Amino acid sequence: MIEIKNVTKKYGDKVAIKDITFNVEDGDIFAFIGHNGAGKTTLIKAIVGIHDFNEGDILINGKSIKTNPIECKKEMAYVPDNPELYENMKAIDFINFICDMYDVDQETREKNIHKYAELFEVENVLNDQILSFSHGMKQKIALIAALAHDPKILIMDEPFVGLDPKAVFDFKKVMNEMVKEGKIVFYSTHILDVAEKLCSKVAIIKQGILVKTGSMSEVKGDKSLEKVFLELEG
Amino acid sequence: MSRTLKLLKVCLSQDMSLFKIKSKKASKTSNILVPVVFFLIIAVYMGGYAYSLMEQFKPMNQQYIMLTLFTFAFSIITLFEGFYKSGSLLFNCKDDQILFSLPLDKKTILFIRMFKFYAFEFLFNSMFMAPSMIVYGVNMNQSWIYYLVSIIALFIIPIIPIVISCIFGFLITYISSKFKGKNLVQTIITMSLLLFVLYYSFNMDALMNMLSNNAGTIDSFICKYYYPVGAYMSMVHDFNIINLLIYIVSHIVIFAIIIFIIGKVYFDLNSKMKSVSVIHNNKPYVIKTRSRLMSFIKKEFSRFVSTPVFITNAGFGLVIFVAACIAVSVKYDVIIQELVSKMEGVSPEVFINYIPVGLMALLAFSAFMTSITSSMISLEGKSLNILKSLPIKSSMIVLYKVITAMVIIIPCLLLGDIIVFIAFKFDIVSIICALYASILLPFIAELIGIMVNLKYPKMDATNDTEIVKQSMSSSISVFLGMGLAMLSTAFLIGLAMLGLSNAIIQIIYLVVFTIIALLLWLRLTKVSDKRFDDIQV
Repeated sequence: MIEIKNVTKKYGDKVAIKDITFNVEDGDIFAFIGHNGAGKTTLIKAIVGIHDFNEGDILINGKSIKTNPIECKKEMAYVPDNPELYENMKAIDFINFICDMYDVDQETREKNIHKYAELFEVENVLNDQILSFSHGMKQKIALIAALAHDPKILIMDEPFVGLDPKAVFDFKKVMNEMVKEGKIVFYSTHILDVAEKLCSKVAIIKQGILVKTGSMSEVKGDKSLEKVFLELEG
Repeated sequence: MSRTLKLLKVCLSQDMSLFKIKSKKASKTSNILVPVVFFLIIAVYMGGYAYSLMEQFKPMNQQYIMLTLFTFAFSIITLFEGFYKSGSLLFNCKDDQILFSLPLDKKTILFIRMFKFYAFEFLFNSMFMAPSMIVYGVNMNQSWIYYLVSIIALFIIPIIPIVISCIFGFLITYISSKFKGKNLVQTIITMSLLLFVLYYSFNMDALMNMLSNNAGTIDSFICKYYYPVGAYMSMVHDFNIINLLIYIVSHIVIFAIIIFIIGKVYFDLNSKMKSVSVIHNNKPYVIKTRSRLMSFIKKEFSRFVSTPVFITNAGFGLVIFVAACIAVSVKYDVIIQELVSKMEGVSPEVFINYIPVGLMALLAFSAFMTSITSSMISLEGKSLNILKSLPIKSSMIVLYKVITAMVIIIPCLLLGDIIVFIAFKFDIVSIICALYASILLPFIAELIGIMVNLKYPKMDATNDTEIVKQSMSSSISVFLGMGLAMLSTAFLIGLAMLGLSNAIIQIIYLVVFTIIALLLWLRLTKVSDKRFDDIQV
């Protein structure tokens, strides 16, 4: 479970996110939506422990990311919006590196790397340098590295950007499998129709303030998510 | 033209962040104060050195020779530095995509990059040359014309070395673009060129002796054969507005011509350097479990070997160390004769006796002048967020980086050690001390490097050279290393002058530096988590 409690983050005098509070339960696919610059990436970076925040707290399965970051990070995997991977490395070396950092045993990593490399159809390029990859290929490698250590919580910043339609389709299946096992998938997105069909819960952020959150059906009611979002933005 | 100027302004403000301090408010004062004090120290030191040099020429009433030597020396330094900077500053930059997509002539982009290179060298050289010019002007009661000419010369003098080094950078890039392993070829050619220049500069003894015996000859030699310095000195002695205009215009024309020539093939060559071999490696991929440390070293090492300027910068001092150890071992009789001839009253036995102490000094220079960690955080760039999201303490990440740097440095130092041990039949105490120093001294240098880089990270560089050669962090580390190496040698000489035995000198030296290492280590463990976490990309 992720508990976000009154989180405020400032960049100098500018308030990026203000007093954000909501929970993400086990088994949720949670969509986090908002316009560009609304504060989505800031909150995501705070959750995964990349950025500090000024006020409030974030608990990952009861542990604070502020006071116990290592234990929190062990349970999470993060896929950034723009996969800035180590381009001089081979894809397989990068995935192995991430697995080593999470102390993934040989059996688990073999099972997962083969499984996801096959799913995303990248097995034949795992020995190639990341430098030669397109954005979508890098995104797939970032996803495999994130999934290889069986995270309980998968946090992603616009994960579908750059992925081909088949990869999006397959990855949605992976997300559904994860939540069936009681894991959490939390991601930011601008693709509202996908979020509407895929996610059980949603939060909408506007200019750093949480304007609506709840189950998908509660938030959108009879309308489409897109319409609700545009109304709130308006 | 106005578009070019606007772009130049944007690029300079973006990239010349050697003088831009990013920090939290609380530490802003100290962040600004440290480099300012640091640069002031250098300026005062250079001023003092210029004054003492002038005093030496005073009896002959030839104080102006100091100016000739200073301006020429910094032209040579700019040229030497430019050899391994120019290729990576001009080609294969991170902002290629945006710049080449703009409706601009390709030569404009080349001009902007060469101008950025020039701007950095101008600022850097000014820090060293301006004090000498002021010292001369004040002491010789020069008129305002002297100061005007000197200010113009500060702008003009870096141009020719930059043009020459850009031609070399272009040729090295052109040759390496023909090979599959471009980075490797680029590194090998650059390193070979530097070693070639260094070898011949060491073998110019006869010429330099002849010149140093007659200071006037040095001056006339430089002024006759090197126009940028010669013309400046001529205007210092006898100002002429026509000569000044020729001086300015000729340099600008040379700069423009080189942009015009290289600009013709710049885009094609840059594209070749960016192209990556996409031939698939058909070998089955290997899924292998490693310890965190080994995995981290592998990751850092692959970054190191894929960055030519990083290898050249770090590797040069180490190659010199090994070469010096071989030279000392093979030609020690010649070297000792040379030292005896320069230091009257000291017998050859004294030098032979103090070879273990000499090795310690050589180790100190090599270790302190090789700071790999001073660029390691900055080179992460935006991928720093990958590290930050990992379940590892920031202090461990920092430690892993220090260990990686030591893994690169120590084998080279040990190789040099072994050559000297065998050649001079070291006793066991000296062997143990030298081996310990080969671990301790790079550890200190790398601790300093990483602390400076954590304090002054440059996460938004457009190419690796800006980080490795032109960042605040690398500059401070180089000068701190230089200072530490000189202090360390002075300390060894001081101990030797007390008449202590080799063993005692080495032990005292190592104890002092062990204490320094411990203090640095304690400081790093205290600040590394916070400083690492504070870096935002």
